[in-house]
Amino acid sequence: MNKELLDTLLRELCMINGTSGREEKVREYILSKISDRCECTVTPSGCIIAEYKGQKRREKKLMISAHMDEVGLIVTDINEDGTLSVDCVGGVNADAVIGRCVTLENGMKGCVGSPAVHNLSEEERKKPAAFDSLYADFGTQDREDALKYISPGDNVYYENNYHVSPDGYIFSKAIDDRAGCAAMIAMIIENELSFDTTFTFVTAEEVGLRGARTAAYVADPEYAIVIETTTAADIPLSEGAARCCELGKGAVVSYMDRSTIYDREMFALSRKLAAENGIAWQTKTTIAGGNDSGVIHISRGGVRTCAISVPCRYLHTPSCAAKAEDYYAVYRLAVLMAENIGILG
Amino acid sequence: MDLKELVCTLAGIDGVSGDESRIAAFCKELLEKYTEDVCIKNGNVIAHFGKKEEKPHIMLDAHLDRVGMVVTDFKDGFVKASPVGGLDMRIMPAQRVTVHGKEDIKGIVCTLPPHLSKEKKVMDRDELWVDTGLDKAEKYISYGDTISYDSPCTPLLGTRVCGAGLDDRAGIAVIFEIAELLKDENIPFTVLLSTGEEVNERGAATGGYVIDPDIAVEFDVSFAMCGGEKASKCGKLGGGAMIGFSPVLDREISLKLRAIAEEKGIPYKAEVMSGTTGTNADRFSICREGQRAATISIPLRYMHTPAEVVDTEDIRACARLAAEFMRREYK
Repeated sequence: MNKELLDTLLRELCMINGTSGREEKVREYILSKISDRCECTVTPSGCIIAEYKGQKRREKKLMISAHMDEVGLIVTDINEDGTLSVDCVGGVNADAVIGRCVTLENGMKGCVGSPAVHNLSEEERKKPAAFDSLYADFGTQDREDALKYISPGDNVYYENNYHVSPDGYIFSKAIDDRAGCAAMIAMIIENELSFDTTFTFVTAEEVGLRGARTAAYVADPEYAIVIETTTAADIPLSEGAARCCELGKGAVVSYMDRSTIYDREMFALSRKLAAENGIAWQTKTTIAGGNDSGVIHISRGGVRTCAISVPCRYLHTPSCAAKAEDYYAVYRLAVLMAENIGILG
Repeated sequence: MDLKELVCTLAGIDGVSGDESRIAAFCKELLEKYTEDVCIKNGNVIAHFGKKEEKPHIMLDAHLDRVGMVVTDFKDGFVKASPVGGLDMRIMPAQRVTVHGKEDIKGIVCTLPPHLSKEKKVMDRDELWVDTGLDKAEKYISYGDTISYDSPCTPLLGTRVCGAGLDDRAGIAVIFEIAELLKDENIPFTVLLSTGEEVNERGAATGGYVIDPDIAVEFDVSFAMCGGEKASKCGKLGGGAMIGFSPVLDREISLKLRAIAEEKGIPYKAEVMSGTTGTNADRFSICREGQRAATISIPLRYMHTPAEVVDTEDIRACARLAAEFMRREYK
């Protein structure tokens, strides 16, 4: 495992902007890293299907998948005063957007505004922000001025500020799911796998697992490993099972979430491989969330699927928090699963 | 340094109420380019320009401090925080902050994932926790350390800037602009850059007492019109200086300021307040025997968020107006 490569790939990928439907810059970056090592095709829905050649052939085809898109904002209208109405792309809470600095897709800097707290009634102060009352402000004087720079349908991104703490915690937007993309690129660059494998970098997970549906159809595998991030709530505001999973406790292997009941044998194999190889692992203590496995495991005639995830706090906010050692654990476990999946026949 | 750069530099320095020493030191050094008579007294920066005994003695004030939080407790890598000044709790989830510990530590305000929060509500003040990304926060951070928004000031289009703490670094920028305009004119005045405005205007109370001016002119920010605000309560971003009219302000000065703005073609709006002004001017007007107070305010959008917006042209308008007023008072 090349930690330096994994770190660099994650940082560079998180800094790229690419909401659902607008993954082109992420795709270009990934292709620049892997196209000399894999036979790559881009599907009509924008997914990369990368055929990796190992020294050995598999009896049953394995697909490893991660999504390229991130949550963000989209301009829905331009107001008379030059501000922009915005809505969310993917599951974004308005309270994670209000009062933040943002960047327009053309690089212009701005912020998401709302009336000053001083002028709100007691009742209004206790009301969570909602998108219909938010607007982005890029300093344009009026509607006419704004139209010189901005069109409805343009994307607005969280201002990024990739930061690694002294104890190895990573704060950034888009760790969901650039961590998965980075891990897959590293596996390819480092030639970690001895078997032929299909890597799929998919679009539009955040708006309903859309790209993975088509990628799984095209790849037509028997097995799938989804590399993802998953909600950790190990903060002082929650206790017990509500914490879901915890940073620093290793790779999260799921048995069930809102979209999938995972393959029992793959679940067992991943735990066994983790234990045998000294890789920290955990599972989720609540049935919550979901990921591309939801559509992959029911693709065509069915695909045996597992998900290996990086536990991540504050998902879908401008500052997700993950721990590097968990990300490395996910990488190692995914490699072991890919190498040993043949055991299951 | 041009004005936009000055504003961004000032806004880039922390200074939560009670912890203004870094911004005070920075401002003292800048003021020393104009006058040798600069000191820091009880946290306030005080600078005298010209001969002290000249009448009327005019004081220009802006506040050093900004809203933020203070560390009250620890749990592993998390610090419990309490608000300092009027925070907008609606914006707190996953907000980026800097904890000013032994060294500056970046952090995130904790928030529960949506599917785990039982009801959708605004965070309570006692639910503020900051994730420091440390295994043990106490290694770098102590009780009473301050926490500010981590939001660098950024130029927007044209003459606007966006960032945390423009309340009231924009006011400080006005005072530097005035010093620049008057640097060759030998007009006497005193600058007060005061602490603790966000916690009951405390620095203004002591600074006003020490300086004991005849006239106190306050440069603070006020509300600029934006979606959801009432036009009657607001100035306009890029619309010039806001001249205060209030029962606690000196009406004669307010009228003079308005006349100057009209005569000189300085863009302005009358800011009418039916009671107190919510600024340090309220303190000055009842300090000692009472000082004749005025407010010249900079319109600002999204007050007390990390994404406040001002237009530097408004800062220029405020400075031109005040400089002209001072010239006339000394004629």
